[in-house]
Amino acid sequence: MAESLSVRNIVKHYGGVVALSDGNLDVQAREVVALIGANGSGKSTMSKVINGVAVLDGGQLLLDGNPVHFPSPQTAKNAGIATVFQELSLIPQMTVAENIWLTREPLNALGQVDRKTVNARTEELLALFKGTFKTDLHSDVPVAALPPDEKQIIEILKAISFDPWLVILDEATASLDSRQVQRLFDLVTQWKEQGKAIIFVSHRMEEIFRIADKYSVLRNGRTVGAGNIKDINEKQLVKLMIEKESVLGFLRGEARSDENVEKEIALEAENLTTEYLQGVSFKAHKGELLGIGGLRGQGQRQLLHSLFGDLPYSGTVKLFGQEVHFKNPREAMRKGFALVPGDRAKEGLLYIRSILDNLLLPSWRRYGLPLKVDKAKKNAAQTGSSLNLKMAGLEEPVSSLSGGNAQKVVIGKWLMREPQVLLLDDPTKGVDVGTKAEFYALLNRLSEEGKTILFYSSADEELIGLCDRVLVLHDARIRIELAGKTLTRGNLIAASLGASNGGPE
Amino acid sequence: MKLSGWDALAARQPALFALVMLGLSLVINLILQPNMFARETLNSNMRVFLPIILLAVGQAIVILGGGIDISVGAIASNVNTVLATRIGLEGSPEAIWGFVFLSLGIGLLAGAINGFFIAYLRLQPIITTYATSFLYAGLALFILPNPGGGIPASMAALYRNSTPFNLPLAFFVILIILLIWLYLSSTRYGKFLYAVGGKAEAAYETAVPVTRVQFSTYVISGLMAAFSGIALTMLSGSGNADIGGPMTLNSITAVVIGGNALSGGVGGVTGPVMGAITLGIIQNIISFADIDTWWETFVKAAIIVMALAAPGIVNLFRRRRT
Amino acid sequence: MKRISISPPVAALLLAVILFLLSGLLPNGFGSNLDVARAQALNILRLAAFLGVIAAGQTLVIISGSEGIDLSAGSVVTLTAILTYILVNGADERVLLALLVTLLAGALIGFINGVGITFLKISPFVMTLGMAGVVSGAIIVITHGNVVGKVAPIMTRLIARPLSPNLQIPNAILIWILFGILMWLLLERTTFGRNLFAIGVNRVTARLSGVDVTRMNLATYALAGALAGFGGFLLVGNTGVVHLQLGQPFLFPSIAAVAVGGTLLSGGKGSYWGTMAGVIVLTLITSLLTTMQMPESVRRIVLGATLLILISIYGRQRSLRQ
Repeated sequence: MAESLSVRNIVKHYGGVVALSDGNLDVQAREVVALIGANGSGKSTMSKVINGVAVLDGGQLLLDGNPVHFPSPQTAKNAGIATVFQELSLIPQMTVAENIWLTREPLNALGQVDRKTVNARTEELLALFKGTFKTDLHSDVPVAALPPDEKQIIEILKAISFDPWLVILDEATASLDSRQVQRLFDLVTQWKEQGKAIIFVSHRMEEIFRIADKYSVLRNGRTVGAGNIKDINEKQLVKLMIEKESVLGFLRGEARSDENVEKEIALEAENLTTEYLQGVSFKAHKGELLGIGGLRGQGQRQLLHSLFGDLPYSGTVKLFGQEVHFKNPREAMRKGFALVPGDRAKEGLLYIRSILDNLLLPSWRRYGLPLKVDKAKKNAAQTGSSLNLKMAGLEEPVSSLSGGNAQKVVIGKWLMREPQVLLLDDPTKGVDVGTKAEFYALLNRLSEEGKTILFYSSADEELIGLCDRVLVLHDARIRIELAGKTLTRGNLIAASLGASNGGPE
Repeated sequence: MKLSGWDALAARQPALFALVMLGLSLVINLILQPNMFARETLNSNMRVFLPIILLAVGQAIVILGGGIDISVGAIASNVNTVLATRIGLEGSPEAIWGFVFLSLGIGLLAGAINGFFIAYLRLQPIITTYATSFLYAGLALFILPNPGGGIPASMAALYRNSTPFNLPLAFFVILIILLIWLYLSSTRYGKFLYAVGGKAEAAYETAVPVTRVQFSTYVISGLMAAFSGIALTMLSGSGNADIGGPMTLNSITAVVIGGNALSGGVGGVTGPVMGAITLGIIQNIISFADIDTWWETFVKAAIIVMALAAPGIVNLFRRRRT
Repeated sequence: MKRISISPPVAALLLAVILFLLSGLLPNGFGSNLDVARAQALNILRLAAFLGVIAAGQTLVIISGSEGIDLSAGSVVTLTAILTYILVNGADERVLLALLVTLLAGALIGFINGVGITFLKISPFVMTLGMAGVVSGAIIVITHGNVVGKVAPIMTRLIARPLSPNLQIPNAILIWILFGILMWLLLERTTFGRNLFAIGVNRVTARLSGVDVTRMNLATYALAGALAGFGGFLLVGNTGVVHLQLGQPFLFPSIAAVAVGGTLLSGGKGSYWGTMAGVIVLTLITSLLTTMQMPESVRRIVLGATLLILISIYGRQRSLRQ
């Protein structure tokens, strides 16, 4: 069993994007190190470099002080490193047992998989989480049939099944309920006693303070702080995670929840239910910047996408008093809706096409037949300059743009249509400070122009600074509505975690 | 996602669909041709079906691993033309074995070429094997520009009349294949196959040697195509460069009927074997049914399209129901 | 792999010029005789025109992404050529009717392809390959193996002959140029074209930006079928004869031409100009081989290898290791 792993000055880029510019980490046997950072800070990349899935571009890994090199997942596994992946590494069509033992199945004399041993050992592993399953879970259930929390548990069991010395838990508690989390933490304590080391990647403060011994903070691809957990508190950790430069100057000072009461209701939802959402109801006034908060994956995407007609739902939605039910995004667009999706590379942009093509994508029909491309170029240029879009030219591919400018293109394509309702799914994710400021100014301006904006952000200070009201989603429901005096950082965090009040602030 | 009774069964045993289809087609064939199970007819049928069965086995494994092999027919043609020209009508039965191994070598090489481009250079399987199918077909035509050549009559007779234990030779070949598959699927390699076909990225993260597994499936497919070519040659007794062409689509259809998902990771080899036999029986049925000769080609092609469409239609209804 | 810095259509055109110059150096080439060179160049372009029209539909489905391809193009060409032949039967007044029927028949077959691909989720390769068989079967049903008909004089006049004796450029070439301009307009100056590129790059983004992906898919395949039909119409107008294998030799080259022209086989990027350049390259290769008196088999081998080399350069996918 190894005793320590050190990660020194790791550099990693994906194409033109720098994911890590100076990644550092030290972990020793018998301790839990929390790897902390905001979304896009490089946490997952760090895990991938350690477990051999990604090849590092610079820096080194030291195992027990000796430089090592992991050219493949197999070499990392051989060195005793196991990972519980954020995007599960399970094969949906195979069973629980098959997934857990893949590549390490116990064999009989003929080289065949020894079913009996496999099943027995699988049951042993499943017993570790006994009492926390909702379904009747046993070895030959196909993984595809399991709910997300049980899939996560199988992923965990798979990682520890070969008795590794280092376990990387990458957001492993994201889908687990409190009972399962407690059981996992009991196991982590056992593992520590057995001499294992654990890297706990998470942004859930409560859990970090419960289980971690040390911490290491990543921000924008650089490690900015590390030390013992008992020497730091949550406030200080959060400060390390977010930008030092304050963008609060661009945000509204005081929440102005009273001003909108007289304004008419632009968008209203009643008991909106999708496959995941369980009955969401809210009212948004004309010109309001309504915030949606909560941890990622609590239904925010479902809410925004169903309002846009991308997901089927039941329940009532009214636009200016008239009931609407969009069956596809086109219908929503025609009624003046716009959606800026959460994953701009996969959902918001045509990556290899030009900036012009991206800006005009929803609007070509307005330019006649044959298309008046010159007019389109003029309009696109106008939108681009009004957004202060820094580009080499309209014909350049959108992949040549920085994150912030690419996001401007996503918003720009909708602004060209003068929408009346804007649905934004974490629009400032992966965007630099300067562009963020421009976005805030833009959102304020749009709201003053009378556009209704539903705005999900995973960054608390944005919600507090920009929005009059914030609906916090937790477990597929609106946990609470915060406005005015109750709209504070502490309340936001507490509600995101499902607690009723409090949180250190 | 809870699966209801019938759905759960169908998911666990994809070959069930193939079994049903096989049963149905057997019944219909029996009605039209009452002496179907008589020794001679059975033997004759199975002889004709064997080449496509062999092809379907190789195709099944490639598809299980998440790929597809459009060049199988061309590889079989290649083997056929090589055998027909090299052995010739006056060839000596002893030299045969040398040529049999040569054929297998051709299959392995062709498969390795496919595997290299797809697994190591990471090219798309469909377009790559489409390109190689043209290449191999050209090679076959080069070796034998006009149908002809042949194998010694004694060899063809051997194939025709072999009935160990009064059962068609083909039965034993199928039996051996199924036994090999039974073993293979119970080893780690078998699990790797399903993993790579099920979700290659997850398999990679789990340290499954994805590239090597993918490469191996194409080599196996090439090998099976070579076997198919040998069986074809023994069946027809002569050579024809275009002989394998239509067989490719049939092999894919057999795999689909067999219950394997074209996207990979689901199914086995038993289903496609049944699917290949079913396909053969359906062709029989069409011959026996009172269909105008001119309509035969159309009907056969239409049935293939319907067989390919079947899983899609079933899924459509399933989606509508939920 | 080194990055290719010249745009593919330009590279293809350069290749075409080089090949043409090479052909001049051959024994019965044009040598230094400019007049003969001009005549041969025009001949190449005239031959290329037909492949060019047939490859247009292929260009569209490949741009539309999701492994789009149309393997039924060859049979559609044969079908529509035969339909035209029979319907026109030498009468000038029926030409327009025949053209209409041709386009409709092609569109219908393409539409069926689209339905199978979009609603039944059958992979484009498999679906169009299956339909190719159905169409071939339909041809046999219609013709009973024997085609009786005749081309109308006006067709030969408009397609095969030059516009004016002074110009000496066969009309086919002019038609192709006009066709090329229309294709450019379609791809770059219509909403359909912009949407086509969009769904080829990223269907999710396209859908979330209001594109009706289903309708686009159906329309693309239907249009591809219609264009293949148009190709058949032109072909029969040029040669004046039909036979059951008329369209088949155009199928593989139509796909290879699209690839040579730089249209990404994964979709979302490309142009018809590229295909036109690719078509010329392929016609030159074929013609060179014919001049060198190479048999059909060598032609196939060369074409297969060409496509393989091309996709090795242009078509490599993301590696598993990041």
